Amino acid sequence: MEEKGFFKGGRDLLEVSKLTKLYREGRGIRNLSFQVDSGTAFGFLGPNGAGKTTTIRVLMGFMKPDCGSARILGLDCWRDRTELKQLISYLPGELHFMEQLTGQEFLDLIEGMHGECKEIRQHRVHLLSSLELDPRQRIRKMSKGMKQKLGIIAALMLDSRILILDEPTSGLDPLMQKTLVELILEEKKKGKTIFMSSHQFSEIERTCERVGIIREGELLAVQDICLFKQKERQTFDVEVAEEADADFLRQSGLTLYPMGDFKFTILVAGEQELLWKTLAQVHVRRFKQGSLELEEAFMHYYRSS
Amino acid sequence: MNRALFRAMMKQKGKKIAKLSTGIILYETLLTWVYPVISEHPAVTEIAESIPSAVKTVFGISKDARMDTFEAFISGQFFARIWAMLMVLYNVETANELLAKMVDDGSLAFLLSTPVPRDEFISTQALVLLSGNALLALFTLLGLYGGTYRFGISIDRWKYFCFGILGFTFFSFIGLYSLFFSALFAEGDLAFSFAAGLTLAFYALDVAGGLSDRLSWVRKLSLFQCYQPQEVLEGTVDPAWKIMGLTAGSLILLSFGMYAFDEKDLAL
Repeated sequence: MEEKGFFKGGRDLLEVSKLTKLYREGRGIRNLSFQVDSGTAFGFLGPNGAGKTTTIRVLMGFMKPDCGSARILGLDCWRDRTELKQLISYLPGELHFMEQLTGQEFLDLIEGMHGECKEIRQHRVHLLSSLELDPRQRIRKMSKGMKQKLGIIAALMLDSRILILDEPTSGLDPLMQKTLVELILEEKKKGKTIFMSSHQFSEIERTCERVGIIREGELLAVQDICLFKQKERQTFDVEVAEEADADFLRQSGLTLYPMGDFKFTILVAGEQELLWKTLAQVHVRRFKQGSLELEEAFMHYYRSS
Repeated sequence: MNRALFRAMMKQKGKKIAKLSTGIILYETLLTWVYPVISEHPAVTEIAESIPSAVKTVFGISKDARMDTFEAFISGQFFARIWAMLMVLYNVETANELLAKMVDDGSLAFLLSTPVPRDEFISTQALVLLSGNALLALFTLLGLYGGTYRFGISIDRWKYFCFGILGFTFFSFIGLYSLFFSALFAEGDLAFSFAAGLTLAFYALDVAGGLSDRLSWVRKLSLFQCYQPQEVLEGTVDPAWKIMGLTAGSLILLSFGMYAFDEKDLAL
């Protein structure tokens, strides 16, 4: 089946074309078009209610598009959903389990429904130990973090070539977020294709090469993450020792905001070469890196649209 | 049928089936224990026969039915109403839990992300429902066989077995239309309202039709016409055609349910 997919799909592993799915109350997604290349990670970014989960529901074959199409490896996400699910690992945005089962029983169930195989069992053992989860406990009695770990194991143990993750770090503590991002990066190294939705720019930035920005059901932009980075703006708080240093800074061509005697906030967009060259020639008393404004570049889409 | 799903679901529903079965067996033991005492008292039969026919109808006893047999006793005290209500509740609720509630609470998302087709999923859930019914019918029969044997009540076991089969097919039919509503609406409250409402309507027609001769025709519209425990236990009605009809109806309902679920948008 993979061969068939490659012949039909070519380089684009996932292709969404003029996809529309509207709910009765009028919300949903309209006319979305984008592609995800094989072996890359695509971040789908937008605030809550923007249409990220609806897009994923269509990709997973849970919903039929009103018009347009969503194809993975050339297979239609609605019509060929059963075949496609042999290739997809899915992590839902909100995790709900059959609470009466133990973690072990739940993993057995997912494994069994995927047609038990040795590889799945091996991955499962590896993930259970790296995420330090005891699966013998009843799911009902598990904490939110434990449930999230269980969901991650259920998705990643399958070792599928495509990962569809719906807001995977939402509700996780920073430590778990970091662990999950590392796991995603590990999967990426293995050549998996990842489609990941989020409303947090930082996790998309750390894991994805390309990003699609969605707002109110419409795709505002699809860009390489490095293009966003070119628009990255960062601030630095600098205090120099004497007036001559301050003058040198004023004449350096950097964007400066005076903050007091010999104190400046320097704004740098994109390359930081000039900043470091200039600072090398003055006596810096204090230096503090300001807030990262990469997210600003993304917010710009929401403000200006 | 998907074996892994079936195993997990049966494990989930196992406790409920075990609790219901225990309750049923205990109640049957109580009834078979008191019956020999009651049957030896002639006044009991006189009282039973003096009950107005409308009241008998409400308790699921046919107008012309005998009142002095164990079949009349066990039907009136258990099979006609209590067992029927238990089985109806079990089926309507379980069918809802097996599908629509799983859509509502999102627990279906993981299961439907596996390469198990939706029609295989729903047919496995249907099998879980039917297996529960089969176990409940089996334990009901075993409880009754055990009780009658222990307290020396003589019964025609074959007729009780036929009644068990009728009970299984009748309540499975109710379970399967409940599952059909679950697949059609994919929304717990709505599916439950339709399934429970329809069953209640059938029950109301059955009771209303028995209250007066003028309304007797409405009884024919009720599904409960297929479920006449006393007549089947006494051997005055052959349940074979009803069993076949209910089985055919169940298969049709299941295929409609499979189609509806296959085409349904699921907000998971």
